[in-house]
This record gives sequence, C-alpha cells and structure tokens, in this order.
Amino acid sequence: MKPTEQNNSSGERKLSRRAFLRYSALGGSAAFLAACVPAGAPTGGAAPTSAGEAPAAGAPKQGGTMVWLGHQEVAGLSPDDTGPDVQSVLIYNIHNPLVYYNEFNELELVLADSYEVAEDGLTYTFQLKKGVKFHDGVELTAKDVQYTYDYYRNPDNGAVNAGDFTNIAAVETPDDYTVVVKMSDINAASLSTWASFPIVQSAYHAEVGEATYRTAPIGTGAYKLKEWRAAEFTELEAFEDHFRGRPNIDVIRLEVVPEPSVRTIALQTGDADATVWPLLVEDSLALAQDPNFVVLKALGNSIKHFPLNNSLPQLADKRVRQAMMHALNREQIVADLWQGAASVAHSNIPPSSFYYNAMLTQYPYDVDKANSLLDEAGWMPGADGIREKDGVRLAFTITTITGDQARRPIAELAQQMLKEVGVEVQLAEAPVASILEGLRAGTMESSIFNWTYNTGAIEPDAFSTLHSTGGNNFNQFKNEEMDRLLEEGLKTVAPEARKVIYDRVQEIFVEEAPCLYLQFDEWLNVFSSRVKGLPVDPKASTVWFYRAHEWWLE
Amino acid sequence: MLRYITVRLFHGAVVILLISILTFVIMRMMPGDPVYLLMGEGQVRITEEQIQAIRARWGLDKSYPEQYLIWVGNMATGNFGESIIRTGVPVREMIFEAIPVTAQLNLYSMILALLISTPMGIWAAVKRNSAVDYTSSVISVVGIATPNFWLSLMLIIIFSLLLRWLPPFGLRSWQGFILPVAVLAVEQLAIFTRVMRSSTIEALKQDYVRTATAKGLPRTTVILRHAVRNALLPLVTVIGFNIAFLLSGTIVIETVFALPGIGRLFTDAVFRLDYQVVQSLVVVLAVLVVVANLVTDLVYAFVDPRIRLSR
Amino acid sequence: MAVTTSSAPLTAPAAASKHRSEWQNAWRRFSANRVALVGLAMLTIIILMAVFAPVIAPYDPINDMDTAMRGCPPSSAHWFGCDHLGRDLLSRVIFGARIALIAGIGATIISVTIGVIVGALAGFLGGWTDAILSRIVDTLMSFPIIALLIVLAAVLGPSLVTTVVVIGVTVWSRYARVVRADVMSLRERDFIVAAYASGVRSWRIIWRHLVPNVMGPVIVLASLGIGSIIILEAALSFLGLGVRPPTPSWGAILADGRAYILRYPHISFFPGVMIVLTVLAFNFVGDGLRDALDPKE
Repeated sequence: MKPTEQNNSSGERKLSRRAFLRYSALGGSAAFLAACVPAGAPTGGAAPTSAGEAPAAGAPKQGGTMVWLGHQEVAGLSPDDTGPDVQSVLIYNIHNPLVYYNEFNELELVLADSYEVAEDGLTYTFQLKKGVKFHDGVELTAKDVQYTYDYYRNPDNGAVNAGDFTNIAAVETPDDYTVVVKMSDINAASLSTWASFPIVQSAYHAEVGEATYRTAPIGTGAYKLKEWRAAEFTELEAFEDHFRGRPNIDVIRLEVVPEPSVRTIALQTGDADATVWPLLVEDSLALAQDPNFVVLKALGNSIKHFPLNNSLPQLADKRVRQAMMHALNREQIVADLWQGAASVAHSNIPPSSFYYNAMLTQYPYDVDKANSLLDEAGWMPGADGIREKDGVRLAFTITTITGDQARRPIAELAQQMLKEVGVEVQLAEAPVASILEGLRAGTMESSIFNWTYNTGAIEPDAFSTLHSTGGNNFNQFKNEEMDRLLEEGLKTVAPEARKVIYDRVQEIFVEEAPCLYLQFDEWLNVFSSRVKGLPVDPKASTVWFYRAHEWWLE
Repeated sequence: MLRYITVRLFHGAVVILLISILTFVIMRMMPGDPVYLLMGEGQVRITEEQIQAIRARWGLDKSYPEQYLIWVGNMATGNFGESIIRTGVPVREMIFEAIPVTAQLNLYSMILALLISTPMGIWAAVKRNSAVDYTSSVISVVGIATPNFWLSLMLIIIFSLLLRWLPPFGLRSWQGFILPVAVLAVEQLAIFTRVMRSSTIEALKQDYVRTATAKGLPRTTVILRHAVRNALLPLVTVIGFNIAFLLSGTIVIETVFALPGIGRLFTDAVFRLDYQVVQSLVVVLAVLVVVANLVTDLVYAFVDPRIRLSR
Repeated sequence: MAVTTSSAPLTAPAAASKHRSEWQNAWRRFSANRVALVGLAMLTIIILMAVFAPVIAPYDPINDMDTAMRGCPPSSAHWFGCDHLGRDLLSRVIFGARIALIAGIGATIISVTIGVIVGALAGFLGGWTDAILSRIVDTLMSFPIIALLIVLAAVLGPSLVTTVVVIGVTVWSRYARVVRADVMSLRERDFIVAAYASGVRSWRIIWRHLVPNVMGPVIVLASLGIGSIIILEAALSFLGLGVRPPTPSWGAILADGRAYILRYPHISFFPGVMIVLTVLAFNFVGDGLRDALDPKE
C-alpha cells in the first residue's frame, strides 16, 4: 500500500531543516530544536516553570506592531539566506514551504493540500492548494515550486543550501497544481529538507535575479516586506490576501540589537516584544519570574560539546577521550554555569527522539577512572604534572568564538577540570569563520559550540558530522562501521529498521567519544505577555515564529 | 604656495596607495575562509564544485596580485565590490548608508566636546596649577579612561530602564542620539582640553599679550581677544586627526546602542571576513583622514605667512 | 628639553656636569609639584601591587574557582566579589596590574625605540629618507589603529606577547613625528653643525647629541602614552584579541563582565576603576615631568 503519510510512531517526527537554528555567532546561547519533552528526561537543577501560557479568553484583536529583536544583521531575505541566523524567521513569514515540521514536531501541510510518497521512496507527489496568492497578486502554481527547486539545486547558481536537494533527479508539473519530484536515490530526510524549502514567485525571480530578489522578495507568506535596512531593522506588513487569512498583527518589525544586555533591557522597557535568539540564561530565568513576560521553553536538539581533532596524536586514542569525558563534571557545568537549564547528554541524539537509545554506557564524573584510563593508555605525568608520551604532551587548544560570552566560561571550567587529570588546555579566541574552516580542514584542535549530530529530533541522520567524508566532520572522525551504518541509514525508510541502525550509531558514538559531549540546552524564548496566541507546551523552538500570523497583541 | 599644495597632494596620494596595499595584505592574512562562513553550519553536503562556483563568483580564485589590481581599478571607478555576507549588495551602498550615522555621531559629539573643553581648557590655562586646573585634568582623564561600553550600559540602565526617559537603542527618534553622543563627547574631552590648555598657555606667554596687559587692557579682553584666537589653531589640527578616530571611537558604542554606522559595519566585516567591505572602508576612511589633514595644512599655510608667501 | 641654550660647543665634562645639574633642577621642580607626587605615589602602589601580587592576593586568581559562587557580590570573604566563574575578583584585579604594566611599559619601550630611531633618521638625514619614512608614518597615522590592531591580533593569535608587539609597532608613529620635528630644528644648531664639520659621523651625532636632547619631550609623551596603551590593551582584550584566558588582564575582566552587566555589575566595575586610576597616575606623573623639564616656565 502506498503510504500517504510517513509511518507515525510516537515521536517519529521530522523537523524542517530550516527550523534548525544552530548557534553560530556572537552572543547567543543554547541550542534549538526540540522534540517532545519526555517525562523522564533529566533536566537537572531549577528550570523555569512558566511555559507558554494558553491565551485565556478574548478573541484575537487586529492591529498593532510587534517588535522582535535580532542579534545580527539581516543579510538577505531569499530562501537561500536561511540558516543559523536571524533572518530565517522573517523569510518563513514572507514565504511558505510545501510542508514543514511545526512546533509540535508534526508534519504540517502548508502550500501542499496533500502528498504521497511512493513505496520505493523515489517519487514524491504533492497536490497544491488552489487560490493561493503571492504578494503581487499572482496565483501560486506548480511552476513556482518547480522553478524554486530547480533554481536552488542547480550547482551553477552557487546556492549555499543546494545540499538540501540531494538526490533529486527531476521536478515535474503534470498540471498546474501537482508537483512530482523524482529522486535518483532515496533521501530519507527529504520531507525535512527540500520539501520544507520556501517557495518563490518564479516569474518575478526569473526576471530580477537572485541578487535583487534577496533584497525584495515576493512570497505567499502572511507578511510582505515593507522595508529592509539590513543592519538596522526590517519591517514586514500584513498581507491582506494571505491564503490562511489576514494575520492579526499589522506590522512585524525586527530590530537588530547586537548587545545582549540591551536586548534584555529593551524587553523590560517595553521597546520590544520578543527576541529571536535566547538571552543570557540568567536573564531569561529572571524574566520568567516576571508576570510581564512569558517564557517558552523547549529542550534543545543540539549538543553543546567540545569537538576534538581526532587526528592529533594526543587525541587519537579513544581511551584518552573517554578519560576526559570522565574528568568533566558535567552536572556541575549544567547546574552552575547554565543555571540548570540543560540536561546532561548521554548520546548524540536527544532523549526526546524516537531514535534515542536508552541503553548506552554513560560517563559519570570519576577522576580516578580518568586517571587510570590515561595511565593505561601510556600517558604518564611529566615534571609539570602534564602527561606525556613519546615526547608528546597531552595538551591542546580550545578556540572559542570571539565574543561568545555564554559558552566561554564552560571552556574555562573544563580547562581546570582537565588539569586535574594532567591534561593541559590552552584557550584562544577566533572569529567563527576561522574556527569553522580550521575544524573542517583539521588544522584546529578544539572549540566549543552547539551542533546537531543528527539532523533533528525527528531525523537521526548524522552523515555530515560523523561520516568520514562529512562536510562538518569537525572531529576528523574516521570509523568504517560508522560510515557504513550512516550510508545505510539514509537509504532506509522504515523507522523500525532505522532504529536498529541508529542504535548502533549511538553506541559507536558513545564508545569512541569523538568529541567531548556535554549537554542538551533548553531553548528559552522570552515574549512580552501582551503577545497572545503563543503555543501551549511546544516541543520545538524557533519554528514558533513561523506561526506569527496567528498571534495577536493585547 | 602652489608648490606646497602640489607636494602635499602627492604625499597624500602615496599614503593612500600604501594604505590600500597594507589593508589588502592584512585582510588576506586573516585565517579563515568566507566561503565556509557562508555555508553556515548547516548540515550541508556541499560539493567541491559548489565551493568553486561560490569562489568564482567573488573572484576569490584569482591570484593575490590579480585580486589587488582588480580591486584598486574598481575602487578608482567607484566600484567598491560586493559584500560576501550581504550577498551581492554593493559595498559602496553599505558604506554610504552607514557613514551618515557615524558622521553625525562624531560631529555632534565633537561639537559637544568642544563646547565643554574650550572654556575648560582656557580656564585651566589661566588658573594654571590651581584646583580648577587639576580638576579639569582629572575629569578629562576619567572621561577617556573609563571603559566606554561600561559607561554606555550604565547610562542606558539609568536613563532608559530606570527613568524611562530615553530609548535603549537605535535612532528612531532624535532622543536616540543623546546617550551615544554624550559618551563619545566624554572620550574626546581629554584631548581637546589638553590642547586648548597648552596652546592657551603658549599664547599667554607671547610678547603681544604682555604688551596688551601692560597697555592696561582688562585681563579678560586680553585673554579672549588675543590669546584664544591664536590658541585655536592647534585645535584645528587636532580635529583633523580626530577624523581617524571616526572609526575606532564608535566601534563599541555602535554595537551597544545598535546604531548602523561604520564602526559596527567594520567589526562585523572583519569577523566575518567580508573582505571587500573591510578594505573599502579602511581606504575610504584613510582618504578622509588624508583630505582632512590636507585641509588643516592648507588652513595653516594660509595663516602662516612664511608658507603663504613662499614660491 | 633643551639642555644647551647657548650655541657654544661645550667640552664633554662641562656638558656632563651641566647636564647633571639640569636633572637635579628638574627633580626639584617635580617634587615641588604636589599633584605629580600624588601620581608618583599612586604609581608606586600599583607597581608594588603588581610585583608582590602573589603575596598580596588573597586567593589564586586562576585556580581558585568555585562555580557555585558565580558572580557573588562584594563581601568580607571577597572584597570585590566573584567573577563569572566564582573566582575572587580582587585577586584577579591585583594580578591584572601585572599585565597592564607589562603591556604598557613593554609596548612603550618598543614604540619609543622605533619612533625615536625613525624620527631621528628622518629628521637628520632628510631628503629621500625623510620622504619615505614620513610617508610611512603618515600611513600609520591615517590607518584606523583599531582596525590594524584587530586584524593583526586576529592574524597572529591572541596572547600577551602579541598584544605588546602589536601595540608597540602601531603607536610608534606619534613619537616619530615629534622626534623628527625636534631633530630638524636641532639640526641647524651650531653645536651640531660644528660636530658635523669636524668630521663626527652621522650616527654618532644622532646617538650622542640629538637623541639625548629629544628625550625630554619623548619621555613626557611616553608617560602620557602609557595610559593610552593601557586603554588600548583593555580594548583589545575586550574584543577578545588580548591575553588568553584564564590570564587576568583588566581588559579581559571587563570583557568577562560585559554579558553579565545586569546581573553581576561589579565584575566590570572594579577593573574599570583600576584602569582609570592607573591612567590618572601616569598622567599626573607625565604632566609633572613636562612641567619639571620645561625651563620656559
């Protein structure tokens, strides 16, 4: 039987790739996506209890301006500009995708009325809604979808997100409202990647070109662009003929405020209603106690970790890495430095995911075990207390992102903890670009950030981070069995079969400890309490903003 | 005089050239690759061809000397290149959008600083080595040594959060200018006061002043009419130099107050390896400084008859 | 300071003794200046603090970390409170004096050396040497220093040495300017002309006669300049381009406190105060030196 939807076991959800906000540049904190917060998930320490409040009574009011705060400039508003940044929330209000994984981790149909996936997983058929208008009044047809997919997957166009369209062979439009996507090979992550890609007005895009398009986009979304001043603010205004109805709030204004403390102040003075990225954890928790604010909380999907360059002689032996895992008191890190708003990680996949393997070995804080592992591996303490072997010192450098005030303290604490077992850590700072390049090329030794070692709570694929040829294999991790498993996992569609594969993936991950994995952060978003219509008990984080058309202001 | 001007212009041109080379070299020395940053940290499986395609788009695949020449040639014709981060946006647009903000900040703060430091410097010079003198010295030093981000944040907390008198960021209304201008002015007090003070002291020692006093003119007249006029000249030179601080002074302030000026543009561009923006910005500023210095030199030349009357 | 006010060439011993008494006069003038003495006293305290830091500091500035005490406010156990990692702020600030002084004095020595050499050469030799060197000086002065600092530090990687070197090689231009101007005016003086005429070689003239005569204004500038170098070091550390954590420098502590300014405002407050006091001290001393060495009183 041809399944008309993916098999839905509890928790087997896919999240839109766009929905991932990875912590990249200055000033952010915490990770992003979430999955269902499981009943037994260890949350450690005090966590804010005021989750999204249900808007009590009151019908939605029309009008008003909502101010969002972003920490970085809005570089562009094309679908290719989405990523770990501020503008994604704007792009998804200007455009719509065919489907996407919403804040409850359910696959939601947006422009698609229905869809079908062939049994062999090589053909996707979408029926589009009729009468959907673009901002310029033109009606959405299958041609727009075809144009969008074909344009951005074409390597000649140099789209940064071209990798989303892996294995697409052809996009066909048998009629005005049907889109058929043919794959050359199975891409199990399809629905969360290319199927969640925003659709552009093809005639307009073809006419003006991508460079102009990103400064003046035309989509089907509930809001259209009013004014774009990249480093200052971006204003969107309500689109009267939006297919889901005119949104309640008239104007959405995203202000760029790089300084985190000033964002907190702006919320408190009422100059802003929401921040796109979380504030400093202490500030979020403090505002959670304030009745003027509502704090939405969701367990993150990315692991805060120290990637380790496995190709270095001092980091090549897995016993060394395991020893360091034992040497880190992760409970202390979560409790003291993250105010308990995180949970210690025991796998590369968050506990809320269907694929989470609960039977994995854990690394309790155990300095003796760490020392004995290092002794066993042949690293003996030198004169200055730092271990060495064959003339190599057990030392490496952790390079934090310049201005990353939220995570650097963790590196500083880890430095002390590792010193206890004779490992010397030097700290340095560098811009994000340098770190990314250094890690990808293998010239940098270690850093600290949040990353997913899976594509989402729904999608367990970890190809780009754990496969030896992965583009984000910061650890220079090379494990044949892992490679084989990951390749197989991408081709397998049935969740039960996948679970077996990814269980083993997690086992290898834990056993080899290619990175020092710490915790899954809680993603805390502060909203002014005058914003109504916010989700109740959401599971995924920044996708909340994609629902802005349903909010209203009191 | 003409020769003087020509020589100075030539010098200026050489300086600009040297600056362009210096900037280019330094930017290329920075570790990191802007292409990777563009890729973001997404689960992108980007192929080598795609990377090359992006590179080719920005001419990053050419040799360094080639890139330099292309860049210089373009700048001469007003094409400052395109931003990598704000993909495709012409750098010239970005710079010209940002300059008015910083220029206004600097102008207002300079005026404010001059309004305060001119009388303060004169007073300090007249009442040399008295309590007034030392107090003004302390005030100026405190002004320049206090970390400006701290001062900015404190002012925001006081005037925005606690008193709700002023907006916490941005320039949506004229009130948004008040705090950043105040902080910038405080920083410039030190240099202006010091210059005013020392040049007034120098002027007061001159013979014509003693003559005027001997002639029986009231002290205030002497000071104001004779001494101050001559004391103002060095101040002009200093203002010329201050243009170089157009950038450095505002980096932190623009970040804290969320003002879209060139200080912020610069730091963002440096850290995100947006080559064209950094290079162009530095060169534009250098040109401004050179021009400003040239103008002040010319003013001096006019005033100083020895230069004016030379061939 | 113009030691020789007359144009008659002095014999060496006579010159030396006149030299010495000038210094004594200068010292007398300096010590009569109360504010300068206050500055000197402050400086002494700061220097002592830096030198005897391990003895004075109540806690280890790096290893005594108690993350549960993160950001604790000033108390009797921690006079300045704790920083964002639970380390004693007072101890860190005390050790920070070391970095400030090392950076300030180190960078000043480098920049004065380069500046004096370049300025003397340019001023004395004139011609093409002057033209080229002057253009280089102009270039450096027109280049936004912060830009240069940021980029150089990012290229060389942050560390104390980088900071000192980077600041040193970017600020020498202000000394070069002054030295060049002074040398050019001294060049025409009789005693120099006489020395040149009697066959004394250029470098000797520069070294023996010119440099000592320009050192006066240079010293004044330098003492005032140390203050601005300390501020520059703080700015660099603040941008993450200074010393590496966990080394305490005032700028680094300032940066630490930036994110927590609403929660733990004391973290940024104390290093800021120290910077202001240190710069004030150097300025008092510098002004006192200028007044003391300037006979045109």
